[in-house]
Amino acid sequence: MSGHVQLRGLTVRAADGTPLVENLSLAARPGTPLVLLGETGSGKSLVLQAIMGALPPRLRRTGEVVLDGQPLPEGRARRGLWGRRIALLPQEPWLALDPTMRALAQVAEVCRLVRGMPPPASRAEAERLLRDLGLEGVARLYPFQLSGGMAQRLALAVLRAADAPLLLADEPTKGLDAERRDEAALRLRDEAGRGRTVIAVTHDIGVARILGGHLAVMLEGQVVEQGPAERLLARPAQDYTRRLVAAEPAQWPMPSAAPRRPAGEAVVAARRLGKRFQGRAVLEDVDIAVGRGETVAVLGPSGCGKTTLGDLLLGLLRPSQGEVRRLAGLAPWRFQKLYQDPPSAFAPHQSMREALRHLGRRHGLAPAVFGGLLDRLRLPPALLDRRPAELSGGELQRFALLRALALDPVFLFADEPTSRLDPITQREVALLLRELVTERDLGLLLVTHDAALARRMADRVFTIEAARLSPAGCAG
Amino acid sequence: MRRNAWRVLRPLLSRLGQAGLVALLVGCIGFALMHALPGDQAFRLAAERYGPDMVDARAAAAMRAELGLDRPLAVQLLEWLGRVLRLDLGRSLVTGEPVIEELRVQIGYTALLAGTALPLSALIGLPLGIVAGLWRGRWPDHAVLGLSVLLRAVPAYALGLALMVLLSVRLRWLPPGGFEGWAELVLPSLTLALGLAAVSSRVARESVAAVAASPVLVFARWKGLSERDAVRRHGLRNAAIPVLAVLGLQLIGLVEGILIVETLFGWPGIGHALVHAIFARDVPLVQGSALIMGLGVVLLNAAVDFACLLIDPRRGRQEA
Repeated sequence: MSGHVQLRGLTVRAADGTPLVENLSLAARPGTPLVLLGETGSGKSLVLQAIMGALPPRLRRTGEVVLDGQPLPEGRARRGLWGRRIALLPQEPWLALDPTMRALAQVAEVCRLVRGMPPPASRAEAERLLRDLGLEGVARLYPFQLSGGMAQRLALAVLRAADAPLLLADEPTKGLDAERRDEAALRLRDEAGRGRTVIAVTHDIGVARILGGHLAVMLEGQVVEQGPAERLLARPAQDYTRRLVAAEPAQWPMPSAAPRRPAGEAVVAARRLGKRFQGRAVLEDVDIAVGRGETVAVLGPSGCGKTTLGDLLLGLLRPSQGEVRRLAGLAPWRFQKLYQDPPSAFAPHQSMREALRHLGRRHGLAPAVFGGLLDRLRLPPALLDRRPAELSGGELQRFALLRALALDPVFLFADEPTSRLDPITQREVALLLRELVTERDLGLLLVTHDAALARRMADRVFTIEAARLSPAGCAG
Repeated sequence: MRRNAWRVLRPLLSRLGQAGLVALLVGCIGFALMHALPGDQAFRLAAERYGPDMVDARAAAAMRAELGLDRPLAVQLLEWLGRVLRLDLGRSLVTGEPVIEELRVQIGYTALLAGTALPLSALIGLPLGIVAGLWRGRWPDHAVLGLSVLLRAVPAYALGLALMVLLSVRLRWLPPGGFEGWAELVLPSLTLALGLAAVSSRVARESVAAVAASPVLVFARWKGLSERDAVRRHGLRNAAIPVLAVLGLQLIGLVEGILIVETLFGWPGIGHALVHAIFARDVPLVQGSALIMGLGVVLLNAAVDFACLLIDPRRGRQEA
């Protein structure tokens, strides 16, 4: 199978001439994945779009994309290669699959319309492709009935149907939990193993590690370092790469080994807690307590009931059985929540200053409270006049933290607080949260799917499995 | 399989319950409103039956006795409800003919008018909406928006009059009213269709714009499908879902429009009959025609629901 790709001096500029990707020269060949690793805004997704010929209309590209010795044609002619020579695995495939079409039909139509097979043969081929990816059971289901991991496999089956030698993958693990993430990365490595040329873009070092192959680290539109993935991740030469590698939760410093102060009085405690949704038990017989100055982490895959547990402890949900006790004599807002997706936790039209002014007025807080917290959370006051869309995820999550801390909470429920952040920012925010727990003598319930992160953040770690809570083993 | 059958049955059953409720409410409210109108019902009826010059107190009294109009109102209402349960709409107080016979012919005319207006509105509204959606932010979008606001802001009677003045009085292309042939169908159905198209073109525009920018269509192209296949297989159906759902709401507007448009153009349909019966205080005919229209809306809404179930598999299905 062919599929040798060369990028020669690839440059993408914004309408005003600002370079977004600058003079990129890279090569990819069958069997060895090429991975572009970088943070949001580093221009890595634009590289894939430039190869596809699907850049947003106002961006300008110069430089060449060469596939098997031939520069790729421009415009309409490039589109003729889609599916047949170049395939792109979309970000969050559950949004890209047609919600009104059954799984099998979405694969079979490619066999029929792109490869020109007759209908019965298309169906048979589609069934084989689904079987290869372990999807034979869902052929008659619709995408909204599939889990994230299954939707990802289905999108891959759709692309395999056209059998393009070059497979591009844009953040292939976005929105998947830890286990599904590793599976998805392994599957992509497999695609390379089958002789395809794979170019993947990710901000997740764990994914880059699994994919292996050739790794290029991108920062502000340029490749800062490249080489074999294994060597580069073990011995990064550039400062930026070193910081990136250190940002992986497994590389974080462990909390100081000396036993910290014993946890103070319990701020929330639950006994024999149970919750059912439409007859299905999500949690059963859960006993948990979080004390002052203590972090308790709850681990588990998506949909296991972690968030439900936090919401029960906060009193946002009513338990089906059992009881929750919160520290007596405190206003309900002294028990706070930090949400997973910072942009959706803020009103989009409000500047931070306005949002905080409203909060201050509602709770009679002195402006000095905010001033002190801005300092502590290392948020420059200049950011106050920005709206959510003009702030980075990390800045916004720190504002969310500020908003919670201003109310002097005794308990904070952090629901995957860093999973949408870039690695370096994730480390900053997580370690800041760890310091604040001790500093403010606050009980923290941390919900996450990342075992390494849980180990480094929490005093005690639990997992939820089959609706039951149990202490986690020592892995990670 | 059984769950799938339930997915279809449940909304149909709930529509059936709604139909019963509609019958009860329409009958009672119609009855109450008719009796709340000023004037003596017996006088109006006698005037309608024998001509306005032949009416005096004696004729009215005879009328009252003949039709039992002096009985308590509650008895008269219960009598009507009891008959409806036996599928009998009673007799017209003016002609003495069974209401159902009076309405039978008119229902056909109204169905013809509505049945022409709906496809016509789709023919006008959908292409305009699709063009606006695909060219969003550019001049066709602005032009369609302006047109739709204008048509929506003008009430049906004014629009009907304007069309009548322009196309029949000035240009003499079409007859202004009545029903002798197909030519008379054009103006009333166009008036109705333009009002409906004003809304459906907006919904189609939003829907097409959303689908055109959706990752579903982008992925369909990336798969290697031609633009035609991508739009045909993944664009149209997804774009049709909201348009169809709004159609159910539009049907209520259609009934309103039918009352006005039929009266304006002298179209011999059920809306025209209703307005006429109100002037004559022919209570059973008012109740009967309002009932038929109410049930018609429920029936068409059930049909829209069913069509939505067919094109949108997400409806009524639990996530696995």
